[in-house]
Amino acid sequence: MATEPATKGAAPAATPSATPAETPSATPAGTAPAPAGKKNLLGLIVLALAVIYPLAPFIDWGLAAIGAPAANLDRHLVSIFVFAMLALALNLQVGYAGLLQLGISAFFAIGVYTAAILTVAKYPFQLELWGALVAAPIAAAGAGLLLGAPTLRLRGDYLALVTLGFAEVMRVLLLNLESVTDGPRGLNPVPAPWLPSTVESLAGRAATTGHLHQLVIYYTALGCLVALVVVFRNIEKSRLGRAFVALREDELASACVGQNPSRIKLIAFAGGAAVAGLAGALYATNLTTTAEPNTYDFNYSVMVLCCVIIGGLGSVRGALLGAAVLVGFDNVASPMLTRWMQKSAGSDTGNVLLTFSNWRWIIFGTALVLMMRYRPRGLWPAERRREHDGDAQPARAQEGSA
Amino acid sequence: MARVGKRTLIYRWQRFAFACACLLVVGSCSSGDDGAPRTVAKIVSSLPRTGSANAQTTSIVNGIRMAIEEAGGKAGALAIAYEDWDDASARKGDWDPEVEAANAHRAVEDADVLAYIGTYNSGAAKISMPILNRASLAMISPANTYTGLTKPGLGEPGEPDMYRPTGAVNYFRVVPADDIQGRVGAEWMRDLGGKTVYVLDDRGLYGKGIADVFCAAAEAAGIRLLGREGMDPKAQEYRSLMAKIRKLDPDFVYFGGTTQSNAGQIAKDLVSSGLRARLMVPDGCFEEAFIEAAGHHVLEGRTFVTFGGVPADRLTGRGKTFVERYRAKYAADPEGYAVYGYVAARITIDAIARAGKHDRSAVRTALAATKELDGALGTWSFDEHGDTSLLTMSGNVVKNGKFEFYGLLGSAVAAKP
Amino acid sequence: MTVDLIFQQLLIGITNGMVFALIALGYSMVYGVLELINFAHGDLFMLASFFALTLLGALGASNASPGLLAVELVAVVGACALFGAAVNVGLERVVYRPLRNAPKLAPLVSAIGLSFIFQNLGLFWGALPMDVFGGGTKAAAPKAFPDLLPNYNLFGESSSFRLTPKDLVVIVSSLAVMAALYALVKHTKLGKAMRAVAHDPRAARLMGIDVERVIAATFAIGGALAGFGAVIYGLYINTVSYQIGYQNGLYAFTAAVLGGIGNIAGAVVGGLVIGIVRAFSDQLIGAQWQQAVLFTILIVILVFRPSGLLGAHAPEKV
Repeated sequence: MATEPATKGAAPAATPSATPAETPSATPAGTAPAPAGKKNLLGLIVLALAVIYPLAPFIDWGLAAIGAPAANLDRHLVSIFVFAMLALALNLQVGYAGLLQLGISAFFAIGVYTAAILTVAKYPFQLELWGALVAAPIAAAGAGLLLGAPTLRLRGDYLALVTLGFAEVMRVLLLNLESVTDGPRGLNPVPAPWLPSTVESLAGRAATTGHLHQLVIYYTALGCLVALVVVFRNIEKSRLGRAFVALREDELASACVGQNPSRIKLIAFAGGAAVAGLAGALYATNLTTTAEPNTYDFNYSVMVLCCVIIGGLGSVRGALLGAAVLVGFDNVASPMLTRWMQKSAGSDTGNVLLTFSNWRWIIFGTALVLMMRYRPRGLWPAERRREHDGDAQPARAQEGSA
Repeated sequence: MARVGKRTLIYRWQRFAFACACLLVVGSCSSGDDGAPRTVAKIVSSLPRTGSANAQTTSIVNGIRMAIEEAGGKAGALAIAYEDWDDASARKGDWDPEVEAANAHRAVEDADVLAYIGTYNSGAAKISMPILNRASLAMISPANTYTGLTKPGLGEPGEPDMYRPTGAVNYFRVVPADDIQGRVGAEWMRDLGGKTVYVLDDRGLYGKGIADVFCAAAEAAGIRLLGREGMDPKAQEYRSLMAKIRKLDPDFVYFGGTTQSNAGQIAKDLVSSGLRARLMVPDGCFEEAFIEAAGHHVLEGRTFVTFGGVPADRLTGRGKTFVERYRAKYAADPEGYAVYGYVAARITIDAIARAGKHDRSAVRTALAATKELDGALGTWSFDEHGDTSLLTMSGNVVKNGKFEFYGLLGSAVAAKP
Repeated sequence: MTVDLIFQQLLIGITNGMVFALIALGYSMVYGVLELINFAHGDLFMLASFFALTLLGALGASNASPGLLAVELVAVVGACALFGAAVNVGLERVVYRPLRNAPKLAPLVSAIGLSFIFQNLGLFWGALPMDVFGGGTKAAAPKAFPDLLPNYNLFGESSSFRLTPKDLVVIVSSLAVMAALYALVKHTKLGKAMRAVAHDPRAARLMGIDVERVIAATFAIGGALAGFGAVIYGLYINTVSYQIGYQNGLYAFTAAVLGGIGNIAGAVVGGLVIGIVRAFSDQLIGAQWQQAVLFTILIVILVFRPSGLLGAHAPEKV
């Protein structure tokens, strides 16, 4: 509990600065009496991050000025931000409330398609990203309640199966209801966000409209993520957060002390779904398409779950870290390794064993296994969970008898 | 108490910084290769290299490498650098929209890149086409056959203009699109004596697209459609579906799909469920792997495969040389799409050489003016939409465990639309 | 829908359901003792299928005389069961045992990781020139599994109802294995110990049961069932590919939970329900809706029976 006041102080400190998620730590660190060298180094890192995140989209300009190839940092970061939002959503359900959810892709897909239906030229709504950002979470939350309400009684793995099944049903519906979703063709193009014409013309001088829209998407995603981090960190320390933990640790006891487990579960269901829907709206806008419904399959849900657990179940930072590691592997590290291997080996033999792509799953799978072997609580677990380790064990053993 | 609190805080904080640093490293590591002088013409391909399409894409990449090697690694005065990019992600095991978008952006931002060979999946092309179009970067697909990518009026309303924000055509494909294949398939079926057909598809962009075209063409050709449904390509077997079809007793079953979407299993279950129907499949199954998957005894005498172009062993002139050289180099027969990868790379190199300078628009213009005389695919050029003028379709059957050329299909009809 | 068609679909459903049940038993038993959803189990099934394919190729089974073939098939079934058991026990020892005291979801992630590793190994295996039935080097493409069981219609080829010796072999051998398993769990000392561990690991330990050994034995049995199922299913559908673990695993997991996870009879019932629902949904609604129908029915069942079809209602813990 010693950490609590510090974080409480930190969270509001972030709001005025309105910069990235990491600033919360910047303020208290400056005042904390720590070994001087370390303090300075850390201060520098955080300062650097606080500068780099808002400036990420402009790094390429700088690189171009000195003739270096573009880093595309902002585009990769948008992917990471979206995945991180999904991880936060799942963390709310699995990490805080202890509801094993294997169908987060369903709510993500609902967000993606709601956003697309509200914006594409095929439909008369034309609400643009700003409308979609409001509507997608509402639609997803509605679906969350729809699924959550009848399944309140289900426990553990039975709930896991129902959510998994819901996601499969959703995928098949999206694939087959062609008149609405265009089936495998997907809905596209999802238009770039609308901006007042003055902004467009002002910025038009500095950059092409394509760049401008990319900037808008980047900052919208960053803003949403920062806002979510702040909200979730506050939830962790709030009454609701403790209610979640109580529910997770012992549903009966939490009911005995006057909590309403059904209400709390529904909040987790709807809240997580809403956040996933929000991520979906950003994903569709960033990609300019819904892609095909098979994108949102069981594998996708499993990957989000992996990312939450790798990072550390029940902690905001864990979810963020997990998203960075996972998306980083696929979108950034893999292409780099591929190019590196091609350069050094010149794998022109067609031999299966000499191509990086063919080792990808082994590397990925081994990494998952090793991470769990040596950091079973995640790379960066939540403190609260750790304090209760001692108690968690017998509880687990008892559950086994069910 | 306070001391402990602060120390914990620093600890936490440190790790927070570490995580942020990770995020950043991950982001910034994405930077491309070291800057090089503009004497390098970089060609990249973006194909799904992880997962089930691997066999076909390996064959395509081999074809590309061969073309570059034959050109001596040079296009005019420029040295060619080739990179083989993967548009699949491990977490998806198939092409991933995000990775495809990232590849397209990376190609745009890398000033060395003059041409983008890809994609394998038509769905992926829908994502990268507009991105590359804005940068006037030429995109040559060796495998996309979805009609809406190039042909106005044959896809969704708004296609293909929605993929061309600048209005200019930068997307070319060296394979004939589905509209032709579906039509000649139906005509072939009629000529084979088919009166009734049951149509299945794999619910993918390619499979469903070609099955749609086929259905329309079959009705026009006077073949009665007994039913139409999609199947799950990840299912293990289709016996209950086949039991249902058996009751309807069609002359033919048409499957719009690929070897990867389980065409082999469809063929096996069709036979083992005791249907008398014959099976027709499109070019997505025109690969040795299909015969391996189904077992040749299952396919022999009852399987008909349409293919855009002439099969490798029927190629003459340069096409024949290509097949021989491919066999010598890779100790394997080229898959159906290998020759398209080869041709895509060849015409790209040729266009860069004709453009004569390191300029994307010039390369695109040169590419649009491509006229291959007696190339590996014969003599052809691109039309105003970026489609190949090559409309030759061949029909193939399975004999003695191998594909055997049956005859040219609909070439006379298709040549004069 | 005519009567013969009803029986036909029922037969197809039961045959497939048997195989789902065989895999589901592995899930369910492991869950019973460890509370671990072993997501790698479907992919173990896939590896065992490749193992069977390789063995049959090495034995030249497709050219063997019927008598020799029977002997070879029995040997291959035995070898694959051993293979499955050995791999599963090895995994338990190396991957899961060190996580005994970890949070509940940690082994789940390890299992997912293993599933990726297995699929990659399957790809490599598929890339080997196996010199089997024409051989092949296309890593990802499905491979033909030899069609060794007679596949003629017992009612004559013109009959509208189709029952082949192949169907009978799948059903009868699966039933035999399940009966053996039931006997083992109900009547042997090991079975009793397994039930004890599933019921309460701590109490079991206090009663002198070597819990680790029982867990290892459970993994061995689950792996052997998957290995057995792999041969039988290979002979039935005649296909092996690195992807066959995905949907079989998904359905088997579904079957295990639907029946009441940890419950052995439940896993069998769950497998049959899934097989039959699949078949009739294909017949009546259309193959493209198969999974939607299946999972909708499943959700409805679980809403009304929150602990599965045969699962005992878990008492609230106080």
